[in-house]
Amino acid sequence: MSARAFSLVMLIALPALAQEKPYPPEPNRDEEIVPRRAGPSEPERYFPPPVDPSQVPQPAAFLPHETLPVPDRWRIMQALGVKYPWFDPYNQNMLKGDLPVGGDPWFREHFPDLAKKMGDEWFVSLGAVSDTLVEFRRLPTPVGAQTTQRPGEYDVFGQGKQSTVAETFIFSMSLIKGDTTFRPPDYEFRFTPAINVNRSEVEEVRALRIDPREGTTRNDSHFAVQELYADMHLRNVSDRYDFDSIRVGIQPFNADFRGFLFQDQPLGVRLFGNRDNNQWQYNLAWFRRIEKDTNSGLNDLGAALRKDDLFVANLYRQDLPWPGFTSQATVIVDVNKEGDGQYYDRNGFLVRPAVIGDSRPHDYTVTYVGYSGDGHIGRWNLSATVYGAFGHDTHGEIAQRPQTIRAGFAAAELSRDFSWARLRLNALYQSADKDPFDGKATGFDAILENPQFAGAETSFWIRQGVPLVGGGGVALSGRNGILASLRSSKDEGQSNFVNPGLELLGVGGDFDVTPLVRAIGNISYLRFGDTAVLGVLRNQAPPPKEIGWDISAAVQWRPFMSQNVVLNFSAAALLPGKGLKQLYDEDQRGPQYSVLGNVVLTF
Amino acid sequence: MSDRLVRIAAIACIAIASGCGGGGSSGSSSSGTGGAGCTSACPAVQASLAVSDVQRIVAQAVGEAQARNVHAQIAVVDRVGNVLAVFQMDGAPATVAISSGLGVQGGLDGIPQGTIPATLAAIAKALTGAYLSSAGNAFSTRTASQIIQEHFNPGEAQQPSGPLYGVQFSQLSCSDVNRNVSHGSVGPKRSPLGLAADPGGMPLYIGGALVGGIGIEADGQYGIDRDIFDTDTNVEELIAVAGSSGYAAPADIRGDRITADGRTFRYDDSESIASNPANAPAFTALPGHLVAVDGYTGAMITAGTSFGTPASGVRADAGAFAASGGWILVDASNAARFPPRGSSDGSLSVTEVTTLMTDAIAIAKRARGQIRRPLGSSAEVTISVVDLNGDILGLVRTPDAPVFGIDVAVQKARSAMFFSSPGAASLLASVPPAQYLSDLGSAAISQYPDRMRTFLSDPAALTGNIAWSARAIGNIHRPFFPDGIDGTPPGPLSTPIASWSPFNVGFQLDLSYNQFVKGVLGDTSTGCAGRLQAGAIPIAADTGILQLRNGAQIFPGSVPIYRGNKLVGAIGVSGDGVDQDDMISFLGLANAAKDLGTGIGNAPAAIRADTLTPMGTRLRYAQCPQAPFNDSTDENVCAGL
Repeated sequence: MSARAFSLVMLIALPALAQEKPYPPEPNRDEEIVPRRAGPSEPERYFPPPVDPSQVPQPAAFLPHETLPVPDRWRIMQALGVKYPWFDPYNQNMLKGDLPVGGDPWFREHFPDLAKKMGDEWFVSLGAVSDTLVEFRRLPTPVGAQTTQRPGEYDVFGQGKQSTVAETFIFSMSLIKGDTTFRPPDYEFRFTPAINVNRSEVEEVRALRIDPREGTTRNDSHFAVQELYADMHLRNVSDRYDFDSIRVGIQPFNADFRGFLFQDQPLGVRLFGNRDNNQWQYNLAWFRRIEKDTNSGLNDLGAALRKDDLFVANLYRQDLPWPGFTSQATVIVDVNKEGDGQYYDRNGFLVRPAVIGDSRPHDYTVTYVGYSGDGHIGRWNLSATVYGAFGHDTHGEIAQRPQTIRAGFAAAELSRDFSWARLRLNALYQSADKDPFDGKATGFDAILENPQFAGAETSFWIRQGVPLVGGGGVALSGRNGILASLRSSKDEGQSNFVNPGLELLGVGGDFDVTPLVRAIGNISYLRFGDTAVLGVLRNQAPPPKEIGWDISAAVQWRPFMSQNVVLNFSAAALLPGKGLKQLYDEDQRGPQYSVLGNVVLTF
Repeated sequence: MSDRLVRIAAIACIAIASGCGGGGSSGSSSSGTGGAGCTSACPAVQASLAVSDVQRIVAQAVGEAQARNVHAQIAVVDRVGNVLAVFQMDGAPATVAISSGLGVQGGLDGIPQGTIPATLAAIAKALTGAYLSSAGNAFSTRTASQIIQEHFNPGEAQQPSGPLYGVQFSQLSCSDVNRNVSHGSVGPKRSPLGLAADPGGMPLYIGGALVGGIGIEADGQYGIDRDIFDTDTNVEELIAVAGSSGYAAPADIRGDRITADGRTFRYDDSESIASNPANAPAFTALPGHLVAVDGYTGAMITAGTSFGTPASGVRADAGAFAASGGWILVDASNAARFPPRGSSDGSLSVTEVTTLMTDAIAIAKRARGQIRRPLGSSAEVTISVVDLNGDILGLVRTPDAPVFGIDVAVQKARSAMFFSSPGAASLLASVPPAQYLSDLGSAAISQYPDRMRTFLSDPAALTGNIAWSARAIGNIHRPFFPDGIDGTPPGPLSTPIASWSPFNVGFQLDLSYNQFVKGVLGDTSTGCAGRLQAGAIPIAADTGILQLRNGAQIFPGSVPIYRGNKLVGAIGVSGDGVDQDDMISFLGLANAAKDLGTGIGNAPAAIRADTLTPMGTRLRYAQCPQAPFNDSTDENVCAGL
């Protein structure tokens, strides 16, 4: 067994014991280099060749064919006759921000005044993404309450095969002022609309829309604005272009490296910048969340903004505490004032307040204090996040009284690369609520998670939203979410701090089988922290904690070795443990699974 | 040692209450000693309201009314509905107006003050608090209001109706199951107004044992709570809270800790009482007097019966169901009122009835209770079997089943049997219309079979061609079809939403309306369905529809019994979650069919109501619950039956 193979095995079997492979010893230069004595020779000298006037002609006063005027310094190659088609994103392209707009011949011809004003400082960058998804799955699906799809359906659980086809087009347009590589742009205006078309099929009525007459198929579409902002460079604060900038509008924001707490495209104002050669970075922001479209998960500007404000302050420091490792400290205050009534999603289901407990509307204010780190320690890669949530809920729906929020979260991914393989070890802890009726809510919930962790969307538990059938209008864990937070909807619901919590331990690997093909595998063991709340919501003896094993595999193919065409295929299954068997009809219908294919085309 | 302590010392096992803490008896330090798992096999809980308890409860209630400067009618009942006292404060309203607040004029809704005595309202509220509760659940009239409306929760758009939609028209003053005290009978009593949904009726407990209920009528309005998301300050409820001080339900079993589909029940909105019940005036000094209510009580205080003793009319069976732990109803001479028997037409044998009921009890004992704490308790229900005449072939209950289910189990069984029977349409066409009080109009009963035939596009509907379960009947007896979907037309048995309220539901009320009114006026004769209106001169005997003699019921929990293709009777179950009630009847019958091998069983699948798809929406026949059994992880246990 080779040393590498041995350490590979060690990592899988006993990761804590896996040994660092020692680096080769530093050479002792005093021993290896034998100094020579200087000889008696002369140093070599250079003598210019003699000038022969007949070889080079004298400079002439006018040489029209040798001083070609070029429109700007970006178009030297084009002036020399090297041209690229407009749709080629790999080479100089005005649409991709490689060339200033004002200097473009076509633009100058058609918009001479505008071109003159824009000069050589304005750039346009356009992007287009097509994301095609085909997904098949089996989830616990209740039969319709008032009516069923078929005769003879006498139980709560119906047939659970479901499918979804979704196509999302995302266009992004940026107008940027700033003409060098090193200096940050002065202005950026960005607009990113998206169009989503989706179709879902299930086997039971009332699973897709609340009106059972709408049947088992749903077609929907949505136009969204995912980004719409102006970014202004306020000032440079050092010779190396450390800066302060402000960005106003609908903009992306991720509260940590892995999307555990808040990853979204909210409306807001963000002041950000860096210091000390980019070693320090900071964000100060206010965001107001935008309502989400139910079936696409995209921003819904057709609805009023949510009464949910975030106040964010964070600070990043590179190379702390190890070189190559970035540390981040975060404080986010989430002020939710949605306790003024009911909000129904686009399928007709009440999502705010969640339909649990007394279902009375409520407000909450939560302060998240967190630390995240991401980078490497020697040859180990580590990404870790810890959050504490402290706050107050005006009315816990199950306790039916005000509640103090005290909850915690921790997650870490430790990985190491072995040539073409990266092996990962994942662990996650979400605190649980032990007594749903007391005055304390101790289950952790995020604001809007989008976790890149433990297999992310290829894993069953993260990818699929599993309803707590018979326990009200909430899901055990939301779609594209990892927390067992019993929310009505990850996108549209309020945070819920009375939940069973989650403990996850898993291993995974990424294997670059060829430069075109990457294979990904993950196995995670999941269990709840405390099932008291599940017992209360279903009025049954609290089930055992064990959720089960989430097993998933994925293949990613990049046929042109670029990100412009990426094909993903993944399959996942949840092998139920004792707890899940108490909640769903696992044995009769077979395990819950999820199979998805996804093609992403990017220009 | 006081009477109270003697009684408490006699409590051998309060299994269900013991895990729950809170509440409990006045000045008592004792608590239950039953171990975990002691449920339906528990010895009887011996607790009851003494005259002094009733006096104290009344005095505490009066103290609160005085503190709030209102004048109340106060009723106290025991667990089986014996009216122990009706106290009328000076200045209390003599009558009530019935109003849902929905602006509806029809049925009982819109009857102004002047007709319905307020004492009856107080009795109905007290009885509701006692009847809906048990050692494992405490429900109030506010709870009742939440579960009988067109949506559950009321105010949550597009949701199906309340799980006990229609229960307000049970325990009727014409029931053959529940009796009036004037019948000289022990056992569950009738309610003069059915079950109440007007806040101000609550259960009473001693040491975790349910001993009765208190009902308050003070504002002259008999209504419902439409907005359950606000927090009311309801004077009647607060007087009831004060009255029940020392007898309050243990906190852990109150409705607000019990969920149905994740939703907790409302128990009370406020307990901010203005008086100190410990300083309540002496009973003899109270401003008012005890009143007699015809058919219910004299102007005196009576001691309550101890539930489970022959005096309560409910006791452990020593006969056919002794081995199953079943309890039965007995008469004043302690003889079983409804021992299992074969039907007079010979279509069901005593063995079949006994086996069916025994199998149903067996399911109940394994079933997860939906409305009980502690979590993991088994379902507690009443099980009844009826024949084609509507005669009760047997009635058995598990020990702690709520009392309301005794009458309701029979109503459900009779409804399933009647709707599935060949003569249903002609019987309905033959009875007189409901004549509403106070010029609110009338409703012809014959319109309902006509509407059903149109709705189902089946001119032969109600002639025995379809097997109807109570759930299926309920599907077409809601103001929306499909149930709860706003904006849809009503089911053929329901009033349309514009004139709908829990006091004007359509067929169910109309069928028993005339006798309901006569009951208010003092008629205690038996037979609810299809009777003549008050004051009408009978041409023939005014018996109405005997098959539905205690009224129809329209929420789930019963299936008809067939022998091959022939209808022979029905089984009805009531007391726990409606899915549990469905399972115990449907699966119990399926198991009995296997055990007996005599040819009886569930209806052939081809004629069950879930083969019907009126307006493209399939009806439902039965629904068994999620996590059906406490002792296994089985799901979908009713599939394929």
